[in-house]
Parts: sequence; C-alpha cells; structure tokens
Amino acid sequence: MKKIIALLLCVMMLGVSAAVAETVGICQLVQHPALDLATQGFRDALSAKIPDIQFDEQNASGDSATCATIINGFVSADVALIMANATPALQAAVAATADIPILATSITDYATALEMDAATFTGVTGINVSGTTDLAPLDGQADMIAELFPEAKTVGLLYCSAEPNSLYQVNTIRGFLEAKGLTCKDFAFADSNDVASVTQSAVGDVDVLYIPTDNTAASVTETIAGVVIPGGLPVIAGEEGIAKGCGVATLTISYYDIGFATGEMAAEILLNGADVSAMPIQAAPQFTKKYNAENALALGVTVPADYEAIE
Amino acid sequence: MELIKLLNSLPGAVAQGLIWGLMAIGVYITFRILDMADLTVDGSIATGGAVAAMLITSGVNPWLALVISFFVGMLAGFVTGVFHSFMGIPAILAGILTQLGLYSVNLRIMAGKANVAVNANKYYLLVSLRNVRELSLQNPILVLTLITAVVILTLYWFFGTELGSSLRATGANAQMARAQGINTDTKKLLGLMLSNGLVSFSGALLTQYQGFSDVNMGRGAIVIGLAAVIIGEVFFGKVFRNFGLKLLAVSLGAIVYYLVIQVVLWLGLNANDLKLLTALVVGIFLAVPYWRSHFLSRKKTDKEAGSHA
Repeated sequence: MKKIIALLLCVMMLGVSAAVAETVGICQLVQHPALDLATQGFRDALSAKIPDIQFDEQNASGDSATCATIINGFVSADVALIMANATPALQAAVAATADIPILATSITDYATALEMDAATFTGVTGINVSGTTDLAPLDGQADMIAELFPEAKTVGLLYCSAEPNSLYQVNTIRGFLEAKGLTCKDFAFADSNDVASVTQSAVGDVDVLYIPTDNTAASVTETIAGVVIPGGLPVIAGEEGIAKGCGVATLTISYYDIGFATGEMAAEILLNGADVSAMPIQAAPQFTKKYNAENALALGVTVPADYEAIE
Repeated sequence: MELIKLLNSLPGAVAQGLIWGLMAIGVYITFRILDMADLTVDGSIATGGAVAAMLITSGVNPWLALVISFFVGMLAGFVTGVFHSFMGIPAILAGILTQLGLYSVNLRIMAGKANVAVNANKYYLLVSLRNVRELSLQNPILVLTLITAVVILTLYWFFGTELGSSLRATGANAQMARAQGINTDTKKLLGLMLSNGLVSFSGALLTQYQGFSDVNMGRGAIVIGLAAVIIGEVFFGKVFRNFGLKLLAVSLGAIVYYLVIQVVLWLGLNANDLKLLTALVVGIFLAVPYWRSHFLSRKKTDKEAGSHA
C-alpha cells in the first residue's frame, strides 16, 4: 500500500507544470461519430483564433453519472470555459457552476435540457450557458417525405426511448406530418438489442420510416438496413450518418459545423469578453438535401436533381 | 499548480463517493449479509433518481422526495424477491429481470422522457455539485455525512434486533436458519427490499447532486457498488471489526473509488481510456485480498517451519 501511495505521489510530481495558458474543459457524453465531429469542429475553430489555448478533453464513455465527475475536475481546475457536448454533460455543468461560462453543442432543445419554459424561451438563457443546437430542420424533413413519397399514407417513427432529443424530434415532426394528412406510428426501442425486432414490426405496417438524429440508431444502422432494405421500406433520416447507413435521403446538418460555430462563440468569450448569458443559441449554418444512391436504386425511389449524393 | 487542481477536485469526489457509498451499503446488504448478487440495483438507482426528479420538479420537498424514493426502491426489491423466493428464479437472473423491467418503469415515471433536468437555479436541493467547495451549511459533504451517519446507525440498530439477526442468520447459513424456525424466503425478500430502498435513496441524492435524472444513470452501478464494498474491506477490513464500522468502511470504499477516478481524470490521459483505467484500478483492489492471503500465509508457514526446525 505504501508503495502505491509513493508511486501516486511521484506521478503527481511529474504532473506539475508551469504552463499558464488558458484551459478549456471539454466534456463529451460518449464516443460517437457525430459528437466526435462536433468536438473536433470546436477545437479547430478555437485553436485557429487562440493558438496557445489548452484543451482538457474528457469523455464519459456513455455513463451519464461520470459527467459530474469530469465537470467537478474542470471546476476545480478553474478552467476558463466548459464545453459540454450532449445533454447530460450540459446538465452536470449547470449543476456544478454558476460562474464559469458553459458552451454546449449537440443539444437539440435547450429549453427542455435546462428546464426552462419552452413557450417563453427566446434563445437566450440568461444564465452562464449558451451554445449551438443540432436541431435538424424538422419541417423541411417532413416536406422531404411528402416530396419523395407522394403516395405514402402512414409514416413510422423509429427512435430509442432512452434519448430525450429523439422523442422531442419525433413529437415535433409528427405535428408537421399530420398537418399534411399523413398518419404517424411510433416504433420505440430500448437499446441496440431490440432494434431489429422493432424495425421488423414496422415493415409492411407503414409506407415510410423516419429516424430522427438518434445516437443509438446511428450506431446500429447496419442492423436497421438489414431489415428495411429487404423489406422494401424506405427510411428518411434526421442526419447524414443514418441516411448513409440505412436511409434513402436526409435534410442534414453538419456536426462539425455546429462544433465550429461553438468554437467561434468560445473565442468571442475568451478574447473579447462577450457575456455568455446574453449570447443567443445558434442553429446550424446550413442544411443540405442528400440522398443515398445505392438504397434509392434498390428501393426504386426517384430522387429530384437538387439532392446531393452521399459519398 | 497541477497538484492544486487535484486537491481542489477532491471535495467533489468525496461528495460523489458519499452518495455512491449509500448505494454500496445497499449492495453490501445483499452481497455480504445475504450472500447473493443482486443486479436489480442498476435499475433501482435510476428509479430513485426518476422518482426524485419528478417529485422535486413538481414542487415536493426534497426530504420527502428522498423518503418516497426509498419506498419505491423497496418495491423494486420486492419484485426481485418475489421472482427469487416465490418463483424459484436464481437470484442473479431475478435481479436482471427486474432491472430490465425497471427500464420501462423508469421511463413511465419520468412521463416518457429519458432525461429530466433538476435545475439547481430553480429548486431547493439538499445536495448540489455547485456548493461542494463552499464552506457553508449548504455543502453537500456535510449533509451527506449526516445522512450516511443516520443510515449506518439505523442499520446497526436494525441488524441487532431479532428480525435483523434472523436476516443475518439467513445469509450466514440458510439451512441452520431454517432449522431455527426462520422463514428464509421472507427474510431474503426483506433484505432485497431494504437494499434496493437504499440504492434508490442514493439515486434520489445523485439526481439532485448532478442536476438531472437519466434513464441510463444506473448503467454499471453494480460494479461501482461491489468495488466500494471490496475496496472498503481491503483498506479497513483489518481495523473495522464492528458491524457499524464495516458499513462505514463500505462508504469510505466508495469515496476511495471516486478519488481514484478523479486522479485518473486529473492525469489527463487519453479520454477514451477512462474505462480501461478504472477497470485496471478496481481489478488491482480486488486482487489485493488474494495476494495478501497468499503472501501472508506463505510467510506464516515459513515462520512455523522455522520454529520447528
């Protein structure tokens, strides 16, 4: 035991450094292609503006409770700014500090995440939080479903019940779809193990399947593809990764872009002393219509000329 | 500089350890006292969080929310107990079944949402990560120390009563206990309820501390609970013989666990390696009792052999 303590002390000594450059703490919820891109965009944007900025990047590896541990480390180290990537990371940061500026990204709905009244939420939090939203243009996606599948009567909504963002999107797009006279049906799965059977139950039951920007779905697109492509069920996805894996088309945002925008907001705060509580939440700078050529061909879907093929 | 950062982060680790320590005491009741591995806890800690989040956001006093979480957690334990004692399902499977079912129950409790925020700016919370470095009555370490003390004293008293003793007898030797006229099935049921009540109780505290309840917040909780029990035994097993002190050792074990995690984070290694490092550290702690017995027993035999010569 004494040896272990001695060893720990040695390691601590080694850790002592004289660097005084400002540090930004990055807390990401889980290893995930979209979140990784957002973090990368954030780092690129901020390092371009402040070359000697230091990053302390941590990942909770999917355990939402670990976010509190990571954020505790940041607050103790008195970082200049916290970047919270995904909802539990943001909530842990808000619980930990009312002073250090917090910028979040990959959050779909700030009002829900921060428990603010959605009806009166203006896009400015009034507390030490701002950031970017990954909210896809849901009305545009509903239009896309109507545009590509004029014959469709029923739309299935496939999502993971553990993801608050997905539920929010599903509920929102349901409104848009029903306004177009379409019938919606929910297909919720609990985790990656029951994706195949839940997806299977949608085949033959609905004409089109919609998948929001759901992190769990994004990691099991191959499983979904294995069911929907042979079953002849076209998928419209909330983001490019899902469309690439199992979808026909998407109206998408780039997570790198929103991460980059968050990085620029961070530079505003650190360089120009901008007040985080007055900075409006930013949306993605642009949306792109994209399609999956292979799946469109396999399912016999004709795609208009203004769609870009996913590489 | 760097060392100060670490020292600064220690209060947070202690507070989090105290919360998980209560959970680990729950695990201790099933794992050590009843001698069964109960995996319900991954679900029931989230249940406690969900109940507390819904109650607090609808204006219920957080103390009352804690008590209600405790009782709801007992229900979860009751289900596992029924699966095990009255349906003959092996304990480990019974726990897994309940844990599985609780996922849906927890979503129902949170009105279909996977994540409910409990904003420290809006509600009066018993414990919050925000106050952990403040020298005030609001500091969660103070509140949690008091709660832990009350829980340990209550359990110490309870396991000294006739009922509590019969529970211990059930775990120590079920056949002998039955021979003494103890109904071991109902005692196991009771133990599971008590354990999950405590786990759910700590989930309610965790939700307030981290500012949200999440349907996935219990993922891997049993690992942390077991690690805390074993770490407590490794560090304090020699000194703490009294039952109450053994419970205290569990709580201290959870604190050590979170201190270790905080150090691992502070080392600033690759963010993706956190789980591997955690597994390694816990693995080493788990091996210590074995190594010690191996090493010490050989030394003892050497000595004996020497005295005979």
